[in-house]
Amino acid sequence: MFPDARNSDIMPVARTMRTKRMSLVEAPIDKPLRIVDIAGGESVRRRLLAIGFHKGDLVELDSLAILKGPILVRSSASGMRVALGRGVARKITVEVLDGRS
Amino acid sequence: MAGPDAPKVIFIGQPNCGKSTLFNSIAGLKAETSNFPGTTVKHTHSRVSIEGRLLDIIDLPGTYSLCPSDPAEKTALSHLFSDKPDLIINVVDASVLGRSLEFTIELIELGWPMVVALNMMDLAEKKGVMIDPGKLASLLGVPVVPIIASRGRGVKELLDEAFTALEHTGRPGARTWSRDVESRVEELARLLPPEFPVVANRRFTAVKMIEADRLFCDVMLGELEPGLKAEIDRVRRGMESGRSAPAYEIISAERHHLASKIAEESSRVEHGKKVPWDRKVDGIIMHPFYGYVILASVFMAFFFLIFKIGNPLETMLLKPFISLDQDLGRHLGSNVLFHLADGLVQGVGGGIAIVLPYFVPLLLFMAFLEDLGYLARAGFLLDAFMHHIGLHGKSVGPFILGFGCNVPAIVSTRILESRRDRIITSLLIPFIPCSARTTVILALVAFYLGPWAALGFYVLNVLLVAILGRVITLFTKSPSPGLILEIPTLKRPSFRNILKKTYFQLRSFLAFAWPLLIAGSIFLSLLQALHIDRTINMVLSPLVAGALGLPRELGVTLVFGFLRKELSLIMMLQALGTGHQGLLTVITKEQLLVFTVFISFFIPCLSTFAMLWKELGRKVALLSAALSVSVAILLAWIIRIVA
Repeated sequence: MFPDARNSDIMPVARTMRTKRMSLVEAPIDKPLRIVDIAGGESVRRRLLAIGFHKGDLVELDSLAILKGPILVRSSASGMRVALGRGVARKITVEVLDGRS
Repeated sequence: MAGPDAPKVIFIGQPNCGKSTLFNSIAGLKAETSNFPGTTVKHTHSRVSIEGRLLDIIDLPGTYSLCPSDPAEKTALSHLFSDKPDLIINVVDASVLGRSLEFTIELIELGWPMVVALNMMDLAEKKGVMIDPGKLASLLGVPVVPIIASRGRGVKELLDEAFTALEHTGRPGARTWSRDVESRVEELARLLPPEFPVVANRRFTAVKMIEADRLFCDVMLGELEPGLKAEIDRVRRGMESGRSAPAYEIISAERHHLASKIAEESSRVEHGKKVPWDRKVDGIIMHPFYGYVILASVFMAFFFLIFKIGNPLETMLLKPFISLDQDLGRHLGSNVLFHLADGLVQGVGGGIAIVLPYFVPLLLFMAFLEDLGYLARAGFLLDAFMHHIGLHGKSVGPFILGFGCNVPAIVSTRILESRRDRIITSLLIPFIPCSARTTVILALVAFYLGPWAALGFYVLNVLLVAILGRVITLFTKSPSPGLILEIPTLKRPSFRNILKKTYFQLRSFLAFAWPLLIAGSIFLSLLQALHIDRTINMVLSPLVAGALGLPRELGVTLVFGFLRKELSLIMMLQALGTGHQGLLTVITKEQLLVFTVFISFFIPCLSTFAMLWKELGRKVALLSAALSVSVAILLAWIIRIVA
């Protein structure tokens, strides 16, 4: 229905070149990240919005639990921390801000 | 809750904002309170008198937004709308201001009188966030009172502000959004027919229609106003075409930007150089290795602490009751009067000497873990394991609560978003050894077979829950939707909070379970005096003596075990006609183990069963009972064969 929400991995080549995009699960720890896309079903997206994760927000990955457990994300603006299951985290696309923002 | 004259004040806020702490510290000042037992997890009504003025205060479960996603949030909303409050007190966690304000902004859209209680100011300052409440109030257009609920600071000022707001009935105006979004909202608000059942105001109703669940909207409006549905779709599409995102996301983003802007303008962030202490502690608590070591030690400590405190206390407290019972026997002989007195002594003594020594330390420890914020962290650590039994980390909270009592644990499954998760979690909860069953395990297994046997029992019990979870999820098709769980800031536990929580739970035990225990005990004595117990025992004999290999006298205790698990324990001693000391002369250790296993699992207790029925329906309750009975028989059999 909304092209950018559904086909998050089919981005134009030019944009992919400039900023490195990846899912939150693959992102480096303790580096500033920007959420560029939140995919997934409507209910998951709604819950992420309600808890305070929006497109364009700055976040940091705090830690990853063992055995494909959840990841811990911190919102840079409010300092709030949320545990996200891997399945949910995989649907969030981020780009690394190499201190250039 | 009679008397229509007291103004209604609703406390609402996001989860973990300290709303209930604030509520309790206000309800603590009360002249008269009615606390409906069992409903405290859902919502609490209290009538308080503050300096001679009455208020009806209502505490709602935490909710992130006015678009509910789990049953607990739905409760919050239905009360918000049906109770029509005279004043909303929005409790805001100052330590995550930007995020919390999104909800505040949504509440302001209601246009109802409102006061913001800016809670956890101390935590915010520790994080280096300095908030200017005056500036925040002028930006929001509603009064803002800084408070620290856990220490009772600012509560009086908040109440003063509440009374002022009640007198002046000023209505806050919603902040407007970007022109393209706002114009669409206005368009729909104009389109609402004049006689349309508006909630709060026309703009709010229009906004909700645009951002609500498609499904919800279709069901509601299909009946009300068929033509309107097409209009809503048109307005929605218009809004979406400009921004290429779903309407609910656009509206949420509008609130988000507004909230971030207000938070930025009203607070100053001082970036400290060093990492704050709580993040260092969290680094260890949630560490991929040490985290689990700590988690295991917490439960071991928990277990031994209760045993070390409970066991000597039990022996000490039982003494006077045993001698009293012997005295009674000497003086009264063995008539009906003796049986009545005997039942009374057993019931009272059982409550005091067997239940309380284990129950109270358990409640204190649970309250401590809750106050610290450890439950969410346990959820984070255990999420991976929960996936193996088809659930996710959010179910850890209800499970851990289940160690205290299964009943509130089942109510707390309302925090789970999907019904599938709720049902599976609720089916597993009755297998979690609650404090009553822990009491039975400690008083029987640990007392007679040693603490290691009891610990082993516990470990096997947890394993059983895991296996059952795995088996149950084999029968469900849809996978779990995945974990989204806020990890609250680690707090230094407040002694006052812990005592208060323990007191509330203990009070409901004393008021509800203890009388039942005493009545049950007297009733059993009467049955014995009138020899009716023999009939019950005979009916149950094929199961008790045949299948389980237990003395048939124990049949009647099973009936009481359905009422409350710890009753079976007291009844067992009585049914076998022996004291606590002479038990092993009557039955063997193996029989004791079989009995404990069977009693632990054979059926959810009456309150749990009733709560399952109420929360999830008859089918789930009956399924749970059937599951328990089959598991109990199977396990008892295995133990009989192995032992």
